[in-house]
Amino acid sequence: MRALVLLWSLGPLLWQLRTSLLPPDALVGQGPTAWTLENYRLVLSGDPPLWASLRNSGLVGLGTTLLTLSLALPCAYALQRHRAGLLGWGVGAVLLAASLFPTVLLFLGLLEMARSLHLANSLTALCLPYTALALPLAILILRAAIAALPPELEDAARLEGLALGQRLRSVLLPLLAPALASTAILTFLASWNEYPIALTWISRVDRLTLPTAMARLAGSSVFTVPYGAFAAATVLGSLPLLLLVLVAQRWIISGLTQGAVKG
Amino acid sequence: MSGLQLQQLSRRCGDRLVLEHLDLAVAPGECLALLGPSGCGKTTTLRLVAGLDPCSGGRILLNGEDITARPAGEREVAMVFQSYALFPHLDVGENLALGLRSRGIPRAERDRRIASVLELLQLTALVRRRPAQLSGGQRQRVALARALLRQPRIVLLDEPMSNLDARLREELRPELRRLLCGGEPPVLYVTHDQQEAMGMADRIAVLQAGRLEQVGGVRELYTDPASRFVADFLGRPAINWLPGRDGTALGLRPEHLRPRPEGGLQARPERREWWGHQQLLWLETPRGTLRMLLPEGAEAGAEGLRVGWRAADELWFDAAGQRLSAEGPWRQGLESGAV
Repeated sequence: MRALVLLWSLGPLLWQLRTSLLPPDALVGQGPTAWTLENYRLVLSGDPPLWASLRNSGLVGLGTTLLTLSLALPCAYALQRHRAGLLGWGVGAVLLAASLFPTVLLFLGLLEMARSLHLANSLTALCLPYTALALPLAILILRAAIAALPPELEDAARLEGLALGQRLRSVLLPLLAPALASTAILTFLASWNEYPIALTWISRVDRLTLPTAMARLAGSSVFTVPYGAFAAATVLGSLPLLLLVLVAQRWIISGLTQGAVKG
Repeated sequence: MSGLQLQQLSRRCGDRLVLEHLDLAVAPGECLALLGPSGCGKTTTLRLVAGLDPCSGGRILLNGEDITARPAGEREVAMVFQSYALFPHLDVGENLALGLRSRGIPRAERDRRIASVLELLQLTALVRRRPAQLSGGQRQRVALARALLRQPRIVLLDEPMSNLDARLREELRPELRRLLCGGEPPVLYVTHDQQEAMGMADRIAVLQAGRLEQVGGVRELYTDPASRFVADFLGRPAINWLPGRDGTALGLRPEHLRPRPEGGLQARPERREWWGHQQLLWLETPRGTLRMLLPEGAEAGAEGLRVGWRAADELWFDAAGQRLSAEGPWRQGLESGAV
């Protein structure tokens, strides 16, 4: 049963890996099935080279994640610790509604905004809508995490003479590390995979993010679908995510085993 | 004035009055227990003194100095929380060092103080353990160590032993007294356990619904309660209540009831609990069920007996729960029980 689930989730990825390592002819049953890195050479030397869009996506993802976390944490803290009865409840409801809002409806407005504020073709500017979209969920996750911390821990820290900044650094952040790590992963993932906003905001070839750059791969040839190139780009695009999750996992797991937050 | 004074201290949560005009004084080195049922305002009082919550009214004086508006971190208050509130991501040594570091105490001095307090509480071997790797008793000692390290001006204890088993609690009581009480700082000890309050405190303040019911010595509160609530709250097994005239009530402690050859009330034992050094009898009488404590050796027949008490042991209260003098018209009708 476990093997079946593993196969179910890993199967497509492995198939993609195999596809990326075969010459195009072999994919349709013609020619020899010799392993090759030709597809990778193709996408990495293309115009724009894939590594450039990987870098762009990485920068946008990093910026979005940092911006989201640094806004969401104080927000969640204030909402949880200074909850103002009905108001706090209302804000929570609005957050939930916002995180469920169909983002497709925002594109026209965002496009108009980008035009009038001259935000087009800027990677930094792209972080703004991404952050806005990621914030509601991030706040909800962090708020739940803060709610799970016993308030006496902070009281004790206050009595120890720790100011808000010190409490944040030496008590709250370490204890919230697991929640922060999972929020960071979710935010980075959403930004990494985002397509429509990037498509409409970015037109300069050297500033394309990964999804938009991948879409351009198809446009390079009218008559054949470049399966091999797609596969290679997918594999390359998944590697950073894999790395990220592996790194963050250590935080998440250390948070879980630490346990006994009850003191 | 030295020591801690609370003057007209009030705390309002929304439109609910959690604490109402509390006046209380704790002398230097004195241990005062705040005793009362859940929600009576005892923990609130502690948090106000610690500066963790703002007062809605009144003043807090420490050695004559008004500290009402001073932030928690500057009050030099040591507090032991019910949950101990140890930082789970830090080991014992780091837990203790955190506060000293934030106060900018140099490393050498810090290490020296931590080492001496670890020694005092026999925690030296556990210094690299995290709270999750400690037993309840050890965690409590770490919390105590953190409080002692502070060289505090006030010591606050919020049910520090409620997470320990009864045996350990009994053992720790004298140790806690030795470590915390009798020094310079006044000690406020919050508990809902009257035995703990009686064992720990020099004086006890009984709170109910945000109001001070009575404050006094341990013995005084037990033998001379000011209100029906205090009489009812203190003492195990609980005091017996007999209805008097005009809504008055007579309180009789179970240990004050005695078997009598004649006079008193006719009683029939319903149930008995044997406690080793004494036994508790549940007596069915014409005036209701009474609990009576019999010393070891005394026997009550199964079929029936007569119980009486000394007039001096009667505790009378009016319909509003206020204490009445032992002489008055309310005694009529129950005199037959007196011996």
